[in-house]
Amino acid sequence: MTNLDVHAAAIAAGDERAFARWLAGSEAPIRASLRSFAASVDTEAVLQETLLRVWQVAPRFEADGRDNGLLRLAIRIARNLAISETRRLRTRPIEPDDLERHLAEAMGPAGTSDPLLARLIAKCREKLPTKPAQALAARLESFGAASDAVLAERLGMQKNTFLQNFTRARRMLEQCLERGGVDIREAST
Amino acid sequence: MNDDRIQEGTTAWRPRVGGRIDILPAWHDLDEEGRREAFEETVALRKLEAALDPDGLSSTAHAVLDRIRRA
Repeated sequence: MTNLDVHAAAIAAGDERAFARWLAGSEAPIRASLRSFAASVDTEAVLQETLLRVWQVAPRFEADGRDNGLLRLAIRIARNLAISETRRLRTRPIEPDDLERHLAEAMGPAGTSDPLLARLIAKCREKLPTKPAQALAARLESFGAASDAVLAERLGMQKNTFLQNFTRARRMLEQCLERGGVDIREAST
Repeated sequence: MNDDRIQEGTTAWRPRVGGRIDILPAWHDLDEEGRREAFEETVALRKLEAALDPDGLSSTAHAVLDRIRRA
C-alpha cells in the first residue's frame, strides 16, 4: 500500500489539496474499519466526523517511523467515535476488540483511479433512461451537500420517486458494468 | 428491507446539529440488516463516485472538504 504520510507535512501546514490526495487513498480503509459497527451507528456520519478531526489534529501529528501513521491515527479516531456513538445510542454492548487486527484488515491495498473503469462507467451512464439518469446525476453532482428531499424537489420529483429512480439507476449501472466485466463491489478504485 | 430505503442511507449528506455532523434521519428507519446492506451499498457507491471524479474523490471526501473550506 502507498505510504499516504507523504502528504502529512503539507496537510499539517494547512494544504487542502494535499488533504484531498490523502482522502482519496484513506477513505476506503477507514470506512472498512467501521464495517463491524454498520448495524449500530451511522458509519457515514462517524467517518465524516473522523476526517474533520484528522484535519484538525494533523498539525500535531508526529510520525512513528512506520508507514501510514496518519491513516492509523484516523482509524483509531474512527473506532473511538463509533464506540462512543454506540454507547450513546445504546444499540448494542461493546465487546473487547483487537484494534490491531482491524487495522490490518482495513489497510488492504489502496487503489488508484482507473481511467478504463471511469470510461466504462461513463458509457453505462449514457445508456440509462432519463429519469434514473437525472436522479443519479443529482446525487453525484451534489457531493453530499444536499439531502435527497432537496435533490428530488430540484428535479420536480417526490422523494420516493427520486429514490426509486436512483435505485433503478444503480441497479442498471451495476448490471452494465458486469456485462463489461467489472464487479464494482470487488473492484479497487 | 425496501431497496429505496437502503439507497436513501447511502447519501453523503448529513444534517448538522450544533456544528457537529448528525445521524441521517433515514438511518433510524432501517433495521440492523438494512443498515448493514446500506453500508455495503455505500462502499460500492463511493467506488463509483471516486472512479468518476477527476481527483478520485467520493462524495464523502467532497462533503468533508466543503466543510473545511466553510469553517
